[in-house]
Amino acid sequence: MAVTIDPIHQFELKPLVSLGHIGHQQLAFTQSALYMFAAVGVIALITVVATASRSVVPGRMQSLAEIFYEFIADTLHQATGDGGKRFMPLVFSLFMFVLILNLFGMIPYAFAVTSHLIITFGLAALVISVVVIYGVMKHGTHFFGLFVPSGVPKPLLAILVPIEIISFISRPISLSVRLFANVLAGHIAMKIFAFFVVQLLLAGAWSVLSPLPLFLTIALTALEFLVAALQAYVFATLTAIYLNDALHPGH
Amino acid sequence: MAQPNPLTTPPPGADTQLVPGHVEHAEAHSGAFPPFETSGFLSQLIWLALAFGLLYYLMDKVALPRIQAILHARAERLRADLDQAQAMKAEADAAGIAYETALRDAQGKARDIAQTTRNELAAEADAKRKALETELNAKLATAEATIRARTEAAMGNVRSIAGEAASAIVERLTGQAPDSATLDRALDATAH
Amino acid sequence: MTISTEFVAGVIAGGILGWIVDHVFGTKPWGLIVLLMLGFVAGIYNVMRVSGFAGTRPGRGDGQEP
Repeated sequence: MAVTIDPIHQFELKPLVSLGHIGHQQLAFTQSALYMFAAVGVIALITVVATASRSVVPGRMQSLAEIFYEFIADTLHQATGDGGKRFMPLVFSLFMFVLILNLFGMIPYAFAVTSHLIITFGLAALVISVVVIYGVMKHGTHFFGLFVPSGVPKPLLAILVPIEIISFISRPISLSVRLFANVLAGHIAMKIFAFFVVQLLLAGAWSVLSPLPLFLTIALTALEFLVAALQAYVFATLTAIYLNDALHPGH
Repeated sequence: MAQPNPLTTPPPGADTQLVPGHVEHAEAHSGAFPPFETSGFLSQLIWLALAFGLLYYLMDKVALPRIQAILHARAERLRADLDQAQAMKAEADAAGIAYETALRDAQGKARDIAQTTRNELAAEADAKRKALETELNAKLATAEATIRARTEAAMGNVRSIAGEAASAIVERLTGQAPDSATLDRALDATAH
Repeated sequence: MTISTEFVAGVIAGGILGWIVDHVFGTKPWGLIVLLMLGFVAGIYNVMRVSGFAGTRPGRGDGQEP
């Protein structure tokens, strides 16, 4: 029984084409990058190729693209009102990108790009940069009124303003950590339970118990599909809510 | 979670198989928890930026305007279709009303004609009946008169036969014919 | 997991800010201590806001966060 549990190995980056080093940083075209471009390709297939005919009565793929569009447009509108329309490409791209990458991760033996903190943090940092840059460009210093709660006595502000600032900075962190942790934990759990199935099958008489973790693995896989879609939705919704701050900072 | 796990160490040469000639990468990978492996951060961020930039460009310039146009066109089409349906419905309603009016008129006219015809026919029948009745009455009267005349004639004959018979009987009995005056008196007496 | 993430993120943000402050102003380790505490409070504040116990930001329809 040389089966060893290794739930971490699946998250390793595998350089496909190495491009050398910059200091400690290793530059390479990894499988992660390949998956990212594949995701872009799939999204383009759904939203660009399938809509090429511009038919009024949509085909299956085109109606899929339309459903996603209307879903995100609704979410964005709910969070930001009419002013949020300009952020539609950003929120739509983020949602589709995260959704497709999460679903890619559900394919057996495939690599879950969103299980890497740097990727989710990159996306979250993009969101928060857009919020700050757009907020300052649109509202100037008034944007920083976001950090000053109204109706609070002056002395309390000395404590509350730093807390508000930290709370604001914690947003990209919670946004990225939430997605990363969900995907990572889900994949590790699936791997471990699936490993139990193998382990029990090889354990002689105990193999009669192997259906138990098998059912758990199946249930967990179904749950992970749900999490994959839900986390993409949460990412898009929170992005929309944060963008609302850039559009309408506190009065 | 981030502690090095001896089991996670990739089999030696796992990377070298994929990228011959870059043996040193295997060492850079080993030990740390892969998602926190900082040596790949820069390259991952670069690829992320390229992929997401491409995606954003595609969505912003191609996909979203197109989907928006499709949805807009469909909404327009639906509105136009609805308008058309509304117009057609109004037209149909008007036609229906006109039809009903015409139908009512026709029905009224038909009723009038039927009534007139019925009246005419009734009058005609009445007249015919009256004429027939008069004729029949006249025929009846003639017939009655004939019967009365015949009856009277018959009654006259009966009297004369009875007279003759009586005189013959009396003659046989008495040997002498009774005079006609007596005979008449006797006949009158029996007749009443 | 969603709610605990909010708390952890607040602490991490405080820690990062404290580390930066210490490096810039040379106040090691006081910046880290103070800002970690503030981060702790911000984390609790985040959790309260997400779960709907704390007040909303002015001019913002909170409570939409899932």
